[in-house]
Amino acid sequence: MALSEEALPTASPARTRALVWELLRPRRGLALAAFAVMVGATAFGLLPQPLLGHIVDLVAEGRPASELTTPAVLLVLVAVLQGGATALGLTLISRLGETMLAALRERFVERALLLPQERVERAGSGDLTARVTGDVSRVAESVRNAMPELARSLLAIVLTLGALALLDWRFLVAALLAVPVQAHTARWYVRNAVPLYARQRVAAAGIQQRLLDTIGGAETVRAFRMEDEHTGRVAKASRAAIELTMRGVRLVVGFYSRLHIAEYIGLAAVLFAGFLLVRDGTASIGTATAAALYFHSLFGPINNALVLLDDAQSALAGLARLAGVATLPPEPEPGPEAGQEAASGQGREVTVAGAGHAYEAGRPVLRGVDLVLRPGEQVALVGASGAGKSTLARIVAGVQRPSAGTVRLPAARPGAARAVVLVTQESHVFAGPLAEDLRLARPGADEEELRSALDLVGALEWADALPEGLDTVVGEAGHRLTAAQVQQLALARLVLADPEVAVLDEATAEAGSAGARALERAAARAARGRTALVVAHRLTQAATADRIVVMEDGQVMESGTHEELLALGGRYAALWEAWSDTRATAG
Amino acid sequence: MRRSRSPGQVVLRRALGGQRRLVLAGSLLRAGHQVGEATVPVLIGLAVDQGVAAGDLGVLLRWLAVLAVVYLVLSFSYRFGARASDRAAEEAAHALRAEVVDRVLHPGGGAETGRLPGALAGIATEDARRVGMLAIAIPGAVATFTGLLSGAAVLLWISVPLGLVVLAGAPALLWLGHLLSRPLERRSATEQERAARASGVAADLVAGLRVLKGIGAERAAVDRYRTTSRDSLAATMRAARAEALQNGVVLALTGFLIAVVGLFGGRLAADGQVSLGDLISAVGLALFLIGPLQALARVNTSFAQARASATRIAEVLAAPHTVAPGAVRLTPEPLGGLRLRGVEHAGLRGIDLEVAPGELLGVAATDPADALALLRCLDRRADPDAGSVELDGVCLRDLDPGDLRSAVLVAAHDADLFEGTLRGNVGAATEQDADLRPAMEAAGADEVAGALPYGEETAVAERGRSLSGGQRQRVALARALAADRPVLVVHDPTTAVDTVTEARIAVGIRELRRGRTTIMVTTSPALLTVADRVVLLDGGRIVETGPHADLARGNAVYRAAVLT
Repeated sequence: MALSEEALPTASPARTRALVWELLRPRRGLALAAFAVMVGATAFGLLPQPLLGHIVDLVAEGRPASELTTPAVLLVLVAVLQGGATALGLTLISRLGETMLAALRERFVERALLLPQERVERAGSGDLTARVTGDVSRVAESVRNAMPELARSLLAIVLTLGALALLDWRFLVAALLAVPVQAHTARWYVRNAVPLYARQRVAAAGIQQRLLDTIGGAETVRAFRMEDEHTGRVAKASRAAIELTMRGVRLVVGFYSRLHIAEYIGLAAVLFAGFLLVRDGTASIGTATAAALYFHSLFGPINNALVLLDDAQSALAGLARLAGVATLPPEPEPGPEAGQEAASGQGREVTVAGAGHAYEAGRPVLRGVDLVLRPGEQVALVGASGAGKSTLARIVAGVQRPSAGTVRLPAARPGAARAVVLVTQESHVFAGPLAEDLRLARPGADEEELRSALDLVGALEWADALPEGLDTVVGEAGHRLTAAQVQQLALARLVLADPEVAVLDEATAEAGSAGARALERAAARAARGRTALVVAHRLTQAATADRIVVMEDGQVMESGTHEELLALGGRYAALWEAWSDTRATAG
Repeated sequence: MRRSRSPGQVVLRRALGGQRRLVLAGSLLRAGHQVGEATVPVLIGLAVDQGVAAGDLGVLLRWLAVLAVVYLVLSFSYRFGARASDRAAEEAAHALRAEVVDRVLHPGGGAETGRLPGALAGIATEDARRVGMLAIAIPGAVATFTGLLSGAAVLLWISVPLGLVVLAGAPALLWLGHLLSRPLERRSATEQERAARASGVAADLVAGLRVLKGIGAERAAVDRYRTTSRDSLAATMRAARAEALQNGVVLALTGFLIAVVGLFGGRLAADGQVSLGDLISAVGLALFLIGPLQALARVNTSFAQARASATRIAEVLAAPHTVAPGAVRLTPEPLGGLRLRGVEHAGLRGIDLEVAPGELLGVAATDPADALALLRCLDRRADPDAGSVELDGVCLRDLDPGDLRSAVLVAAHDADLFEGTLRGNVGAATEQDADLRPAMEAAGADEVAGALPYGEETAVAERGRSLSGGQRQRVALARALAADRPVLVVHDPTTAVDTVTEARIAVGIRELRRGRTTIMVTTSPALLTVADRVVLLDGGRIVETGPHADLARGNAVYRAAVLT
């Protein structure tokens, strides 16, 4: 298990911008259209205030009531135009945002899935999971809600200020008196909010983790009478999150309170400017009214924009983390490709030469291993925990690049994705219909192929008995399979992937001892006709192999058939004695 | 009968009842805020009419001073009102969360039946939060109503006909908008569900990354994801279009209302029925009222959400216990003698078995399901359908299941480890400063610690998934041994452990548990060899009892189950 952590990269602001530009460039026509329509929609939104001001003026000048009809009709017209333009503009903006988002997430997932496994493990798989769930949804959320709203608000602010200036530049000056307070408030808020929200997210994830820990292990908690301790743990995590949330609430309400001050300053200033201008005769009462209404209508967009700035900032952080992975240059996979080259299609042997490996410098787990697997040969790996069996298996399977030495693999069979397939105790059932899970191993496999693979590993009976057979939705939120069924599924995938070489590691450990034997038989059938390397836990499994390789301290100590190794009287013989000692009485 | 409240309502009332002071304070303060907000447009009208239009500086300044006071009041009310209601929401959610966890962990069990851990965790977080949100929604609704009423009062005071136009017009327009956008809302909801699928699929693929790598299915997975992503994209765009249209409709209707107020108010003002200031105030109020009216439409949604969430919480809280509590207290130091009489449960057919205090018993079952059924009866995760299990002569049915488990520990083979250090896990069920070494050594967990970078202090993450199967199993066994219960039942404790270590562990269990009742349910010969006596369970019955050696020699069924 690799424990030294090396996080996946986060893109620099420049690289993030470059990625956004790259996504935007093919859509710049759409972007321009969206911008233009939104400007139009916002501009229409600014017409009612002067029209209302005009009504005020008509009344103040004592004109006949019939003259009010024209501005009223214009108000209705403006309303219709504003509604239409806004609908169109928002549609364009979301089309732009969503297509860019889809392109980004597809690129991200492609890169993430093609990352070498060791890279992912060094970073901890939680990192990638957090990016693919948390960051993707945070960016999506922002694209969907915050960005259009922010764009609208900013446009409204800019155009409203412009409209104020058109009424009279002195109205603009008056309105801008509120800006220093707003700017200061926004700075104060962002400075405090960003770190606080980061802590809040950690705390929220903490509760979720604690709850999953406790609820998922409820049987164990009850068996060991740890109920009180676990209730306390959850309560503590929840309490900590509440206090952070309340700090956030205090921050937000403090923010709005300060904005109230800015609102008052601006409003009073605009009214006062109106007073002065009307007294000088530079502006009509209607104009002063329009200015006051303009400023009053700015409250919403300004408050919106300031709050959304914060959302946008957190989305940018998420975007940088996505870009960090999405812009990684593709790294060559270890093993298979290199191996195929080296083997240049000749021979169907697997050759490991001088392989050594250390997950951490100075702690070698594998030393100078030489191993040849002949075509079709079934080889069992035997040794104590920590002898390096799993590492050797991973290296042969090509998911781990050895620190030293080389691995040669045969070419993949026609129609197969790769030459070697690894089945470990790491099991996962992919969410969706059972058939789709299996088809990951062989895209386009027909029903008959799926059924015969399931049959081979003894899984057809229960698969047919599922509520909807192979179409039953399994995995998270779907039909739950037992540990043994999950392992059979893994073996069925192996059969479908149809590799030249099969590597099986601890595939039977979780099923309990009775289930283990059934799984061993299934594994043996799945491996038939292939070169197989099997990490054996039960010596009976090893005894039936063509050849047994005994490992200790990262080295191969013995190699030979069951009989040869017993005759040798070495480590294997001792292991066998310990094993059969328990059954010697069976005699 | 019909007056009895639904369990969901009971949960809602209890959750909010516990926070009634904060909810009340929040309601009053936020109502004050809304009144203040409604006053602002009125004051603008007055300032323009009496100050600006009349050219009277003193009057203008007076109105600006009043405006300052109104701002102070509305700002203060908002600040403390929001704090009170947010606090109430958080506290209510916290209390519910604790209740759900308590229920899930209750020794009587039963809350997990039919629910995945993720779903239960979701109920304890999301559903609890949604119910708590009512503590914000209720003051919000009160404030909204107050705002509406005060706005209406002012409008009617300005001019009864104008007030009536706005008061009838605003809800009518909102209703019209709602009517027009309802099909859009419905469509948007289903589309959003489909849109969310892309992120679910991506997370699932990443979770199964090792499996994908193992079978070389990365490309197939990327292709599958792309299909899902495109599908989601199309759905999202449809949803976004619907939402944009809805937005446009609401905007256009609002503009229409303002046009009506402008025309009608202007005519009244031209006829001298209302003042110029009143006209300006009316326009401002009409704009202001849109906000509370829209908020009112949303209140319903949060009530519906809270009700649904409360019902889900109530279902968990009311889940029937798997076993009923008993009244008899257990003696402080039980001897640890077990007796099963005619036990029938699941596949078990009339099990009669006596385990003497201090005995080390092996149980080999040909059907794993029978082993599980037996284990469940031993620590009262289930009661037998017929027959009884007794501990020191007391029927388990008469004991509290929690109390019983402090005497009888059944250690499952897939027992979970918890977040914390390796040492913390082993010592989870012991006194603070208990000596864990003997248990660690007996279970071979000392070797596990030795292989880890920080030894016993190494952190265990993801419920032990950061350890290998064999390591996890040994740590879990050490924890069971360290708990040092009068009766210990271990189930397949060594399936992921190599043969040599397994033999050592068998001896370790025997030595450490000497004099304490211990049952090993397993088909591992290494463990069965060290047992005083082995019981063979076949077809739900005990078919033979004797030392491992005798069974292995004389019983073909046993040989098939244990030795092949």
